[in-house]
Amino acid sequence: MSGPSRSATGEETIPFTFDGTTYHARPGDTLAAALLANGIGLVGRSFKYHRPRGIMTAGIEEPNALVTVGTGGRAEPNTRATDVFVYPGMVAKSQNRWPSLSFDVASIFGLAAPALGAGFYYKTFFGPAKHWMRYEGFIRRAAGLGNAPTEPDPDNFSQRAGFCDVLVVGSGPAGLKAALEAAEAGSRVMLVEQDAEPGGSLLRDPDSAIDPAAIIARIKALGGEVLLRTTASGYWDHNFLTLTQRLVEPGAVPPHGFAQRLWHVRAGRVVLATGLIERPVPFANNDHPGVMLSQAVRSYVRRWGVLPGNRVVIATNNDDAYVTAQALVEAGAEVVALLDARASGPAAPSGVTVYHDARPASVTGRKHALRKVTAVVGGSEQSFHADLMAVSGGFVPVAHLHMQAGGKLTWNEEAQAFIPGETPQACETIGAGLAPPPAPAVPPAGKAKKSFVDFQNDVSLADIDLAWQEGYRSVEHLKRYTTLGMATDQGKTSNMVALSRLAEKQGVTVPEAGLTTFRPPFTPVTMGLLAGAGARNAGAHVRRIPLHALHEAHEPIWQPLGYWFRPRAYPLGGESLQQAALREARTVRTIAGLSDVSTLGKFEVSGPDAARLLEIVCATTVGKLAIGRGRYTFMCREDGFVNDDGTVWRLAENRYLLTSSTGGADRMAHLISYVRNSLWPDLKCSVVNVQEHYAGIALAGPRARSILAALIGAESPRHMGYAPGTLAGVPVHVLAASYSGERAFEIHVEASHAAEVWRAIEVSTRAEGGAPYGLEAMELLRIEKGHVVVGGEVDGRSTPHDLGLGGMLNKAGGFIGAAGLTRPALSDPNRNNLVGLVSLDGPIPEGGMLIQRAGQSPQGHVTAAARRILDGGAIALALVQGGHKRHGEELIVTSPTRGEKARVRVTSPHFYDPAGERYRD
Amino acid sequence: MYQITCPHCGPRAQTEFTYERTTDSVVDPAGDASTAMQALYTRANPMGLDDEIWRHTYGCRAWMVLTRHRVTHEIHAVKAIGPEALP
Amino acid sequence: MTDATSIIALPAAPLHALEIWSNPMALATRVQKALGFALPAMNRSAGNGSITLLRFEPTVWLAEGAVSVLVDTLGDDGALTAIGGGIVRFRIAGPGWRELLMEGGVFDTSAAAFPVGATAATVIDHVGVRLHAESDDACIAYVPSSYAQSLHHFWDEALPLLAS
Repeated sequence: MSGPSRSATGEETIPFTFDGTTYHARPGDTLAAALLANGIGLVGRSFKYHRPRGIMTAGIEEPNALVTVGTGGRAEPNTRATDVFVYPGMVAKSQNRWPSLSFDVASIFGLAAPALGAGFYYKTFFGPAKHWMRYEGFIRRAAGLGNAPTEPDPDNFSQRAGFCDVLVVGSGPAGLKAALEAAEAGSRVMLVEQDAEPGGSLLRDPDSAIDPAAIIARIKALGGEVLLRTTASGYWDHNFLTLTQRLVEPGAVPPHGFAQRLWHVRAGRVVLATGLIERPVPFANNDHPGVMLSQAVRSYVRRWGVLPGNRVVIATNNDDAYVTAQALVEAGAEVVALLDARASGPAAPSGVTVYHDARPASVTGRKHALRKVTAVVGGSEQSFHADLMAVSGGFVPVAHLHMQAGGKLTWNEEAQAFIPGETPQACETIGAGLAPPPAPAVPPAGKAKKSFVDFQNDVSLADIDLAWQEGYRSVEHLKRYTTLGMATDQGKTSNMVALSRLAEKQGVTVPEAGLTTFRPPFTPVTMGLLAGAGARNAGAHVRRIPLHALHEAHEPIWQPLGYWFRPRAYPLGGESLQQAALREARTVRTIAGLSDVSTLGKFEVSGPDAARLLEIVCATTVGKLAIGRGRYTFMCREDGFVNDDGTVWRLAENRYLLTSSTGGADRMAHLISYVRNSLWPDLKCSVVNVQEHYAGIALAGPRARSILAALIGAESPRHMGYAPGTLAGVPVHVLAASYSGERAFEIHVEASHAAEVWRAIEVSTRAEGGAPYGLEAMELLRIEKGHVVVGGEVDGRSTPHDLGLGGMLNKAGGFIGAAGLTRPALSDPNRNNLVGLVSLDGPIPEGGMLIQRAGQSPQGHVTAAARRILDGGAIALALVQGGHKRHGEELIVTSPTRGEKARVRVTSPHFYDPAGERYRD
Repeated sequence: MYQITCPHCGPRAQTEFTYERTTDSVVDPAGDASTAMQALYTRANPMGLDDEIWRHTYGCRAWMVLTRHRVTHEIHAVKAIGPEALP
Repeated sequence: MTDATSIIALPAAPLHALEIWSNPMALATRVQKALGFALPAMNRSAGNGSITLLRFEPTVWLAEGAVSVLVDTLGDDGALTAIGGGIVRFRIAGPGWRELLMEGGVFDTSAAAFPVGATAATVIDHVGVRLHAESDDACIAYVPSSYAQSLHHFWDEALPLLAS
């Protein structure tokens, strides 16, 4: 019998499928172990050349055996078969092959290999662009490994904080010991292990003195947290690490709805017990199925009872492979040759012939199974028939986390490896990672062209030589030119082999050739895990207004506004948005309407210095307000541009209410806090953000005053007046201010009582023939009135003068922006000024550009387009160069992208009741 | 993700904080225009320690000055700023 | 200790921000006389059955309950401002409340780091929340009203994940 196998014992109780065929696995099998056990040696096709590939390793460093596990939205492509544990019903598929794994049409690329060598993609960028466009389609179809799922992932991803005194990464002998000691010393311990079983190297090379399960139990009993299937993925600042935990295996249905967890851990100190990764040996066709790493062979034999082959050739430059020879013999395999590249080594295990000064040169196979190994022994060629090769080129410490932490490496000449050295963070490496066994450098035998270094990206020794020849000589250039180390395995089995070759070409030592940067994640991470709950809600919670449910009953059209949702219109009987908005706006102009303005920014400012604070934040005066009076105000940025606008009301001697825009509310809260705490900490005042404490209801229209008076049982406050009152039995603040251009009142009520107040106002308003109105109608009303909106006319590029507000500036200065405003450019008469536009044709396209004649550069743009509510006719607000001096001028509004145009006349922006007669007392 | 030791709350994660500006970028609203614009548009930006104003926005909401090394990210000192507070 | 962990929204209640801007020691003495207990230290709580004070900020205390007795103590050194309408209080109770509050969080809610009586403001799943470790069995979370429904849903979804 040839190839991998395992004798059945009746424990094979877990059914799974691979490429549509059902097999059985034992509990604890990885997919790789189960495939080998079932005689499957061919599991994939390489990325570029589509060469047949088998299982090379037994761990996360696996470059070849990449499969897609799971179906639909749960499918996980590029999963290493060595890093997934079989569960009942698991569906796994090989990748990158068509029509099948054994007959893959694209393997013809192997014949084109000379044209597809290193730098081939880069070279396609030369020459005419249209040629590249043709290559690009072809490359895109041919390239790639697995396919990303097209359905949404049905599972959730958890993110959780973790804290510990000691974080131990790795549950091998050193990690277990460190975690136990820390737990026994009373420290808060977290021990993480990426495998499903604790033990690390003990799972391959057991030690009767160490019982991992018992140690784990003791650590837990002492309060320690032990996480299996958890990878320490990234090491960040201040001992912050991210861990990725599989709560279920890929493609499995999680019982609680969450597939994985991302831990955000802050550790007092970190112990890295991450061990070693074995280094492959370069020789011709070293990527063939049946060529495996020596310790991997040992793991399959001892941990999973699998014989990856019956006639084995071992190739090594160190003593560890002799242990593999021993394990194979004990399992009943024949080790036909142990090729030791060194002149001498340990004694041969019984039944094994050892050849010294022996290096593998090439392998051949038939039907994707290994058949023959050719070696150079003491200078002459020798061949061996074998169905398995176990190779060991030495061991590389897993230094990734150490390096991410900012650590340094020291070179160990005997082991030909970089060992973790100093680190600036509270972290240490322990165990095998500090002491890889001696393994001297060995010149590769065999043709460089087929000697693979990066198996995943199909990069050979010849490619490295080619890069060197073409002038790409630094390690950074080598990486990017050949794509070596850039695949999903990030060079775990290739970087050191490549570096040795590069150093040889450069004529320097390996440490002098340098290393590329180690970056998180250590192993691939699914995007959903990084998104967490944000995978569902785009990372932003929807903010609900207090009266959401009440509005919902009216079936409005909802408008997203930042994170809020506000009613845009309340269409009746099949009305379109435009029809509803126009009806609502007309109702406000002729009778009355009520609207929800709860999302406005609101701040309650108290204390003897309240007015002083407000006169730093606001660019208008505030201090002159009498009790019970209010005024419009606006706030500038430090550079003098308008940042936000609102109103200020003096509620009592030393208590003010400041309102500001919805969109700018959080920004304003931060600014006010900065002024009060950082700039002026000695002010005797308190600023409290009451944006959500108060719901706000605007009641506007010619009948608003009488409706309100009846509701509060008192005279309504006069324009820009404030009065406290009681409405529907609830205390309210009544602010007489108009945004719509009609007489209007903003009624602020504690949010938990907003519903009673809204209902009372709505009943009274409807009784008069009025109705609720939404944001769309509010826009029509304010545009006609000529009120600016933050985010529209106020876009961060307009000064108060630009907007016609210059006359309101506090002449005493001292406010934020005062200094910036003195700069000459901000008074340039040619700046964009706010104007109105009246159409001489049809509708005015919002956002359209303003020109004098066709072909000219724009002199401004339309910020908001509307129509006169009662009289009809298109109008708009716009910002135009030197606009204040251009009233009466005819211009063209053009929107080339929409194919719309209109002739317009420049006017004052106040189309409706410019003198304010509708509400002035 | 830094750990910042807030003078009021103790060690907390960076996501609770907001970076405001360096202390040499502070603009005095009542100061002269030239000095103000200089502060707004230029800064020392040293490749070493610098003083920065931060706010513990999602924690105690208080303000502080951090002395941080801009290359190594080590935080050397944190000093509370703001009104006099009860201990 | 209740059996399962639960999240329950509490009914609306009066909440005020008490802020002190000058003469903190003198004002603190007046408040202590009026209430019968001292203003709590940073990240601690104190109460007398009719009013509870929670300190999340160096110069501001959250006052839960009847504040009328405080009004006359303030003088020119501080102010009270109503904020209850903007806050929904949740009682998160049961053996898993500490674990639940680590979900989507960055703050250590273990018993050692967040003992009974402690208060802390932090961010959970991008929402600013304030926490009061009321007892071994329960924690009160003060959540901005606009985010309350969404955060409640976030916590409900995470319940099946709890070890207890």
